[in-house]
Parts: sequence; structure tokens; C-alpha cells
Amino acid sequence: MIRRLVLWLDDRLGAASFARKALRKAFPDHWAFMLGEVAMYAYLALLVTGVFLTFFFTASGEDVVYQGSYAPLRGERMSAAYASVLQLSFDVRAGLVMRQIHHWAALVFVAAIVAHAMRVFFTGAFRRPREINWLIGTGLVLLAMAAGFTGYSLPDDLLSGTGIRIAYSVLLSIPVVGTWAAFLFFGGEFPAPVTIGRLLALHIMLLQGLILAALGLHLAIIWHQKHTQFRAPGRTENTVVGSPLWPNYAMKSAGLGLAVFAVLAALGGLVQINPVWLYGPYDPTTVSSPAQPDWYIGWLEGTLRLMPNWELRGFGHTIPEPFFPGVLVPGLLITVYALWPFIEQRLTGDRDVHHFLDRARDAPRRSGVGAAALTFVVLLTLAGSNDVMARFFGVPVETVTMVLRGVVLILPLVAGWVTYVVCRELKAAEGHPAAAWHAVRRGAGGGYIVEDEEG
Amino acid sequence: MSPRAVTVAAVIVVVGAALATAARSRAQTPPPPLPAPASGPSGDARRGADLYALHCASCHGATGRGTGDGIPLLGIGAAAMDFALSTGRMPLANPHQPMVRGRSTWTRGDIDALVAFVTSLAPGGPPIPAVYPAGGDLTRGQQIFAANCAPCHGTAGQGAAVGEGADAPDLYEATPVEIAEAVRIGPAPMPRFDAGVIDQYDLNSLVRYVLLLRAPADPGGFSLGHLGPVAEGFIAWVVGFAGLVVIIRLVGTTR
Amino acid sequence: MRPVERPVAAMLALSICGSLALVVVYAAGGQPQLEGVLLAVSLGALGAAIIAWALRLLPQEDVTDVREPEPSPPAVRAAATSALERGEEQLTGRRTLGRLLLGALAALVLVVFFPIRSLGPRPGRSMFHTEWQPGTFLIDGAGRRIRDGQLAAGSVITVFPEGHRGSPVSQALLIRVDPAELHLPPGRDTWAPKGHVAFSKICTHAGCPVGLYRAAAHQLLCPCHQSTFDVLRGAMPVFGPTTRALPQLPLQIDADGYLRATGDFSAPVGPGFWELS
Repeated sequence: MIRRLVLWLDDRLGAASFARKALRKAFPDHWAFMLGEVAMYAYLALLVTGVFLTFFFTASGEDVVYQGSYAPLRGERMSAAYASVLQLSFDVRAGLVMRQIHHWAALVFVAAIVAHAMRVFFTGAFRRPREINWLIGTGLVLLAMAAGFTGYSLPDDLLSGTGIRIAYSVLLSIPVVGTWAAFLFFGGEFPAPVTIGRLLALHIMLLQGLILAALGLHLAIIWHQKHTQFRAPGRTENTVVGSPLWPNYAMKSAGLGLAVFAVLAALGGLVQINPVWLYGPYDPTTVSSPAQPDWYIGWLEGTLRLMPNWELRGFGHTIPEPFFPGVLVPGLLITVYALWPFIEQRLTGDRDVHHFLDRARDAPRRSGVGAAALTFVVLLTLAGSNDVMARFFGVPVETVTMVLRGVVLILPLVAGWVTYVVCRELKAAEGHPAAAWHAVRRGAGGGYIVEDEEG
Repeated sequence: MSPRAVTVAAVIVVVGAALATAARSRAQTPPPPLPAPASGPSGDARRGADLYALHCASCHGATGRGTGDGIPLLGIGAAAMDFALSTGRMPLANPHQPMVRGRSTWTRGDIDALVAFVTSLAPGGPPIPAVYPAGGDLTRGQQIFAANCAPCHGTAGQGAAVGEGADAPDLYEATPVEIAEAVRIGPAPMPRFDAGVIDQYDLNSLVRYVLLLRAPADPGGFSLGHLGPVAEGFIAWVVGFAGLVVIIRLVGTTR
Repeated sequence: MRPVERPVAAMLALSICGSLALVVVYAAGGQPQLEGVLLAVSLGALGAAIIAWALRLLPQEDVTDVREPEPSPPAVRAAATSALERGEEQLTGRRTLGRLLLGALAALVLVVFFPIRSLGPRPGRSMFHTEWQPGTFLIDGAGRRIRDGQLAAGSVITVFPEGHRGSPVSQALLIRVDPAELHLPPGRDTWAPKGHVAFSKICTHAGCPVGLYRAAAHQLLCPCHQSTFDVLRGAMPVFGPTTRALPQLPLQIDADGYLRATGDFSAPVGPGFWELS
């Protein structure tokens, strides 16, 4: 049966010559290479559940009176968008579980992307010839964040509406063009009734088109360039060793995909996420606290919370405070992140082709920079929930903010320096990086001692 | 990973999930019946005088004029007295402790007696409000709550930090009368909401909604304490993503 | 069935059971927790079966792929570059047409701006004023006028200009304080009759409603980024990222005892923007 299908295809497309090589393609075995795959399967779950949600969502800011089955809001005025989300959650069979799976999938999707990007960074997998795929990957991180933000803003509840409000204000803060940009993007002065419709168009059409295109390109380049791999006895720069695509890797990958769906389904069924009925419909005249965005927007929120009240005024114009934490700092961070392969080439002078991966210790400077940047962003994310932390630890929120303002500048340097020193000592103690496994233990003098397998 | 391990892991997942579901359905008891309306206390002022001398006078002064350690109680009103005593905010072991909810050490009779005594010293202050949650409207209550209470106490009444170490407490233990008292007197640092801002009908509605927030239906499953995106992000990493890392370590390890 | 196959078979059977149970639950009216768990069981057991199959039942073999070097062979590179250059010469030979082509493309870029311009209205001066006029009555969220005596000291209420209930730009907080404690900026002596002060409710940092009023400290707090304002001193910022005070609304009490505005806010409301001086 399959044989006949293959022959039928080969008659028309000449597919056999491609299939012959593709089916035996080598996939190196290492668990860390599957992080990107987790993200891909989470994205697939997002697409499937997202299509279902779209059938029930009304992208309209028009006022309606809710008459559904959630009693505490019955008779309340709200946007048609919010009402349709209530309808989906309470009156469509399997609607709530689909919505929750979608939202959990989004959180796990970005988490897996971040973990995958960290793996690529710390192993140096972005080096020549893979700089283009690093850039595409950077684009995918940003697109995923944008898709997440536009998605969780759609229900038009009190929490997400506040988030749109902040996004508007950040856009408004851009020098020269900010006011026009905010009016054009949101369709007028906040709150404009057309905003929800625009966010839906971005969320389900433009952003998904871009993500699918970038993802397709990302995978095609990986396919063409073949995987990187760690050094091991018998491996060379010119070969890739691993499981064949068919049937071994295909089975493993399909199993992983199903496992991702299963974890998301379990979360979607058992753990309540974004209970918009408790938040209430968006009302621009009220707010709730604590007010946090989804976790991957947390670092932007944290930057806004930590930044001191500096603002530039003069010549009849203002560069408002939110521009610096909301646009400038993230813009610089993202630029350095995107251009890192080229920056590293400039710093090290190493422009060679690398198919073998580094371990973190093999490149102490890169690992140090990565650790510092990661610490910085994690601290900013924590700062995004400074009021929650303040309550948890029983200290004033102002104290948390003041402490974090210092910590966010100092701790990344410390983390980067410690990482650098540890990596350098590990590397120095080890000798040749291509050597076989060693036991490493802490020496009495504070350094590291590497023992041979025989010893 | 051996097939046996796969089996064991799957069984654990299924059994755990089933138990969790069972636990949830047990937890979904019907909401508490709406309590009867409060009646004004008619305590024994003489007994109140004795209690006052014993427990209150050292800080608030023998005649309720206050000292360096306690505010004057003259004209403070029955609602403020009743609120402080019935929520366990008073007495404090020492005057520098923060005034937070605790287990009330008073009997109902003690409280009534103290209220009667202190209000007999000087008139004034809001009386203990009457509240009839059953007479309120849930939707109106949600609106009043969202506009006036959620900014500090959170959309689910879970409480929040409101700056300078001040805490808007959660509303899960407050009785209908205590909720109404807090609205009317504005226990520091909370503002007060008189009948000119929240009228009797709105107050009834508000209390009815707050009582619902004690045990909301949570149709989505575990509520994560209604902490919102912070808790959700935490679960996404330590349960969702970390669980998947365990799986890829099993799937992707070399032989 | 061979013993080594049994766990896989068991997983597959479990998956079938999960799927069938899910069908039953759905047909019976659905229940979110059971739906999620049963879906997880049917997908997870299937995934576990496939993974176990791949790891235990398939022959484990390594294949080795040979990488093709990234730069193409020199001859191919030379052929490609020369093809490119030949085409370029054919085009750049016609100078005038080439320049006109660039001009046409540049003109087309202008055209692209028109649909973008249609996305929203011109900002104009709309950011500089609100709906408050001299004499406008203050109303509450239900549309009722506010009168003197309605608010006790320590009270707060969200107010709107009459005719614009719920207005997002004109929303204001009316707070009653002890007039003796007020230290308003110079020139605002008459703006707070009998201790009634009103400020824009929109945070001057990122625009969230400044909904948290700590009455004891007379401070307003924005929950989004913790900008804090001192009500007694004209809502001057005392903590957080904001740089500007909340604009104040001048008030008066009319002959009938109603609260009315005597004009617009003391400054443009909301977050900063380029045109703000």
C-alpha cells in the first residue's frame, strides 16, 4: 500500500531519489537537541486549538449585554469579544479545556523556544555556517512573544486590557513618531473600538504567516546544513552520526509530539489558567492588582517597574520615561542578541566553519556573557512581579524595587564573572577538549582537578 | 528507558490525575448559605467598662482619650469597634505590632459589651451596618467590586501589596458584617465608602459577590491561589516544561 | 505475543481506553477536568507506546551522513557570479531607464503610506484636552451628580463629566480630605472647596488607572508600575517611574451644593508623548 503510494509519487515527482537519502538521514542522539522540537510540537498544539477557538471568538469591541450561564456577570455590559470568550468557556462543550490547552501551550511554547535558544547559544551552534538560522531564530522568539501578547489580549478582560493600555503608552513614548504610531496602530486614542479586531488579524493571520514561514525556513536550513553534534571518539567535522530518520527517529519524534500534547492536555484540564470571568470585562476606568503579563512579557514589565523616573524635556518636546525601559533597553538587548554570531566573530577572530559543538567550558568568554545576560533578563522578569514578591516576603514593595535596581546591575556581572572563571578553570584543568570523559572534582586549593577514567 | 519504566510512569500519571480530579470534586462543596442579617448589638455597658479597664485602657486611656500607644476611641463609632474586635485586630500584644486579622479572643457578649461601653463615652462614628446579601444582585456586586475593591484586594479577593508595606488582605475569612464595616469605616490604610458612594443596595450586592469569591466555582481546575500570570508562568516552567525535559531526556539519550 | 511486546501493547490498550472514555465523557455533557485528563491519557499512552517501540523493539543502528561543504565548488561559484554580472551589465547599460526605474520604485513607496495613513485618525490636539468644561457637573459611575456633604473625609469616588459617563480620558478621582492638611501648588487655593480634590485617574507613566488609594497616607498608587502620588501636595509623584504629577481638576461648589469643574485639568492627562512640552 505504502509502496504503491511511493511509486505513484515517484512517477509524478521523481520523489524516490529524495526519499532514498531523506529516510536514512542521520539525527544525532542528544536530549538537548529535542528542545526545539518541543517548541515545534507546542506550536502545532497552538495551531490546532487556535483554529477551534477562532470559530467561537467575536473580534469586536461593540457593547453587548451578557446573557450566558455565568451568573455573576449576567446582565452586565461588556464587549462582544469578552462575551464570546465567556460563551466559549461556559456554554461550549470542551470549549474551556481547549482554551486552557491553548494558553498553556503558549506558555510552554515560549519556554521551550527560550531553552532551545540557550542550548544553541551555550554550545556555539550559531557559529559559521549557521548565522542565518540564528537570525531567523531570533525572529521566531520575537514573533512568539508578539503572538503571545496579541493572543492573551484578545479576551478583552480587565487584566489584558490593562496590558494593551501599557503597550499603547510605550508606543506613544517613541520620540517624533510615537503619537502617530500609537494612533495608527491602535486605530485612534486609547481605547479605540477597532483595536481588538486588529489584534485578532495580527494574531491569527499576519503573525502566524510569519511564524510558519520563518519556521519552515528554519527547518529547511537545518535539513540542508545537517545537525551539529558534540565531539566524541570516531566523529569528525565532516560527518554526522545518529539515528536514521526512518523509522527510528520518526518514531521517537512522533512519540515526543504526543507526549507534548499529553502534558498540555493534562495542564489544560487540571490547572485553571487565565480565569477571565473573575477579572471581569475591561473597563478603562478601573484596574486590578497585582497586574502581571504572561511570563515571557515579564522582563519588559520588570524593566518598566525598575527604571527610575528619568525623562528628557526641551525645545517644546518630551521623550517620556517609558521610552527608555520600554523601547531603548529591550531594543539594545535584542540587537546584541540577534547580532551575537557576528559580534563573537569580531571578538575572537574565529570565522571558521564549526560543526562540532562547544561545551560551556570550551568558550569561557561566551559562557560568561551568556550567563550575565540570562541573569539580567531573569532578574527583570522577577522585577515584573515585585508586588507579588513584596507580599510573599512581607517587605514593602518600594524596598523590593530599590534592592532590585541595584541587584539587576550587579548580579549579572557577578554571574558572568563566576561563569567565566569556572569555565576557564575547567578548561585549563582538562587539557584537550576532545578528550574522553573525565571525573571532575573540586580541589583543596579552590580549583578543579580532573581525574582520568583510569585514575 | 525500558518499557517497564514507561508503564510505571504512565500508571502514576493516570492514577495521580484521577485522584486529583476526585479531590477537586470533593472540594467543590456548595457555597456557604447566605448568613442572616446582622442585628445591632445591645451589650451590657457595665460589663464593657470592666473589660475595657482590663484590656484596653492601658493604651487607649481610662476614658478613651488615647495615649501615645493607642488612638482615641471617643466618637470612633460602633462599626469600627466591632470590626477591630471581631476580626481579632484588637487587642494587640504590644502597641507596635501591625494591626492584622487574627483569631478573635472575644466572645460575642464581650464585643457587644465593649461596643456598648465605648459608644456610651461619646456619640459619633458609623453604626454597625446592616447588610442583607440575599437582597443584593450578584452582577451589581461584581461591578461595585471591580470598580472599588479589586484595585487593592485583587479581582479574586486574594489580596495584594499596596505599597509602603501596607497589605490589602484577602477577603476569604471576613463575615458579611465585617465586610460591610470595612466598607463603611475604611480601616487604615483603606479609604471609606459611605452610603453616598456605595448605597445599601450596592453594599448588599457587593457583600454577596465577595461571599461568592470565597469559593468560586473554578471550572478550569486548580486555581493556583488566583495569583494569575505569576503562578501560571511558574507552573508552565516547573511542571509543563520541566516535565517535558524529563521526557526528552528519556527519549533522546543515547543507548 | 512476545514478552518484550507486552508493555507496548498495554500502553496502546490504555490509549484506546482513554479515547473511548473521552468519547463517553463528551457525549454525557463534558467535564473540563475529565476531558483534559482523558485526552492526556489517550495521547500520552500512545506516545509512550511509540517511544517504547522505537527504543526497545527497533534495531538500534547508527547512520553516518557526510556533510557537503558550504561553499560550492569554485567552478560553480564562478559560473554563478558571471551569470549575475552579465545580467547586471545588460540592465545598467540603459542609464536613463535605470534611473527612471528607481524613481518609479521610490514613488511607489509613497503610495504604500496611504493605506497606513488610513489606519487611524490624526492625533491633532486631542491629547491636550478632555471633556471637562467650566461649570461641568461631576457625576459618579451611575450618572448621579455629586453634592457637597455626600463624601466624608477619607472617601474616594471615581467621577466623570456630566454627559460623558465612563469617559476614559476625562475620568477623575474625587477625594475628600481635611482642608487643613492640603498643601496644593501655588495658584490652586480655590480648587479644592471644603477639602474636595479631584485628579485625573490616568497614571502619567503608562496610563493605568491609579486605582489604589491609601487613605491613611493620602497616597495614590498605580498597581502597574507602583508610581505613587501624594494627594495632599497636588498629586506630586513620590515614588516609582513616573515623572509628572496627576493633573488636577479645579472644583467649585455651586449655590445648590453640587460639585462642578471650573475648567479642564491643570495639564494634559495620561502618559507623556513627544509633542508634550
